[in-house]
Amino acid sequence: MLLMDGIHKSFSGNLVLDHFTLNVAPGEFVSLIGPSGCGKTTALRIAAGLLAPSSGHVVVDGEPSMGPSRKKSIVFQHFNLFPWRTCLNNVVYGLEIQGVPKAERIARAHELLSLVGLESHAGHYPSEMSGGQRQRVGIARALAIEPKLLLMDEPFGALDALTREYLQGELQRICAEKDLTVLFVTHSIDEALFLSDRIIVMGVHPGRVIAEFPISLPKPRGDYNFRAEPEYAVTREKIWDLLQKELVHADTDRASN
Amino acid sequence: MTSERLLVPDTTAGPTLWTRFLAAPNAVRLVSLIVVMSSWELYGRTNPIFASYPSAIISAATRTMVDKVLPALQTTLWGFTVGFLIAAPLGILFGIALGRVKLLEVSMTPFMMAIYSTPRVTLIPLLVLWLGIDFRLRVAIVALSSIFPIIINMHAGVKEVDRELLDVGRAFTASRRQELLTIVLPGSLPFMFTGLRIGLARALGGVITAELTAAVVGIGRLIIDGARFLRLDEMFVPLILFGILSISFTAILGFLQRLAMPWHTAATKI
Repeated sequence: MLLMDGIHKSFSGNLVLDHFTLNVAPGEFVSLIGPSGCGKTTALRIAAGLLAPSSGHVVVDGEPSMGPSRKKSIVFQHFNLFPWRTCLNNVVYGLEIQGVPKAERIARAHELLSLVGLESHAGHYPSEMSGGQRQRVGIARALAIEPKLLLMDEPFGALDALTREYLQGELQRICAEKDLTVLFVTHSIDEALFLSDRIIVMGVHPGRVIAEFPISLPKPRGDYNFRAEPEYAVTREKIWDLLQKELVHADTDRASN
Repeated sequence: MTSERLLVPDTTAGPTLWTRFLAAPNAVRLVSLIVVMSSWELYGRTNPIFASYPSAIISAATRTMVDKVLPALQTTLWGFTVGFLIAAPLGILFGIALGRVKLLEVSMTPFMMAIYSTPRVTLIPLLVLWLGIDFRLRVAIVALSSIFPIIINMHAGVKEVDRELLDVGRAFTASRRQELLTIVLPGSLPFMFTGLRIGLARALGGVITAELTAAVVGIGRLIIDGARFLRLDEMFVPLILFGILSISFTAILGFLQRLAMPWHTAATKI
């Protein structure tokens, strides 16, 4: 569904992404994890078409896709809802841009609001909602255009721990219900283990892929104590060791500069 | 037992009359108004020529309102309204254009800054030469006074729209026109109203300045005449009336802003 092939990206001579290659199959949930500065958000923005790579190419659903398109949708870390639009009108946004007739887009937005459990908040402004509710609107807005590929940039990073865990469960349910293909950026090993079919670990200086872990724990993982499974503990340990080394590496790099 | 002292004020006692008075801002304002007005009245009566006083102003108002003040007010406000209604839409459109078209922004900014920072009074002789001293002068000075703050604020508003929101537009494949209509314009509304408010204040000042320097009719002229003939009671009538009008205009703008930006009210409600 998504192919990123040989992506290089540098900002003013600084190499941020070095030969980044990634393949996400239809229906797959892939997480990018890595320390700050590993270029995971840059990779996601390149996938979204919000940023042009210095070289390499992006293919979505079999077609070259170097800019934003109707096939992909993005959920932002800081929600980025329009404060002047009500909850419903935020969800409608993408369809409005595409020129979908009003009655149809409003009906679709209502559907999505009930999917994320916010039907009763349709007329509220973002300023009247909690962070968790706002991000649910963000997810509904992204899904309203029925994207082939959903890109999520640390979507729960700005939320408190309890809300985050709740929304992770919600996201897993929605992904199963809608059979979504997702590329997910996160800082949290636990979050990645809970949600992903595959976890890509990234290193720093320059940002690149250093390891890949398929996760075969059955879903939905909220239904049993997935943390008690041996696969959970083993994979968590491995990822943690890798990240630990990258953090030290990043630290000594900074010291020698 | 008698040496025991309360370390914390006893809050179980009910509010005194004084604390209840302090908690009612309107009551405090009423009392302060009465105090200021009666002091003015008392002082004014000892020095009626140079100070005037409220009761004299009220009687002057009943004497001059219909014959002198209202016609003058009509003249002044007519020029003001036409000038402001020209400046507001033009300023908004030009501000948006400056923020969206790089060439325009780069080439026009120096001129704008030059005209904006020139005190308007210095332009009055030139405008009198070109336009005479009546309606057209008022319209011109009002428009010139108000258009630049409107342009500059609108320009700033367009430039300072949240980049992350612009990313949303791009991600959803909004065209430049859609971006303008759905993100830039609503996002810069607060700046637009700030520009209109500053423009309004400067326009009101501008029209009076023009009349004080050049006019033979209008509110400004009435104020000058009052001072010149030492009829301070008659001078205060248009002065106070104009003050009240200025406050009302600003209040109307505030009302329009709440109407145009209901999400702001929603935000402050919480």
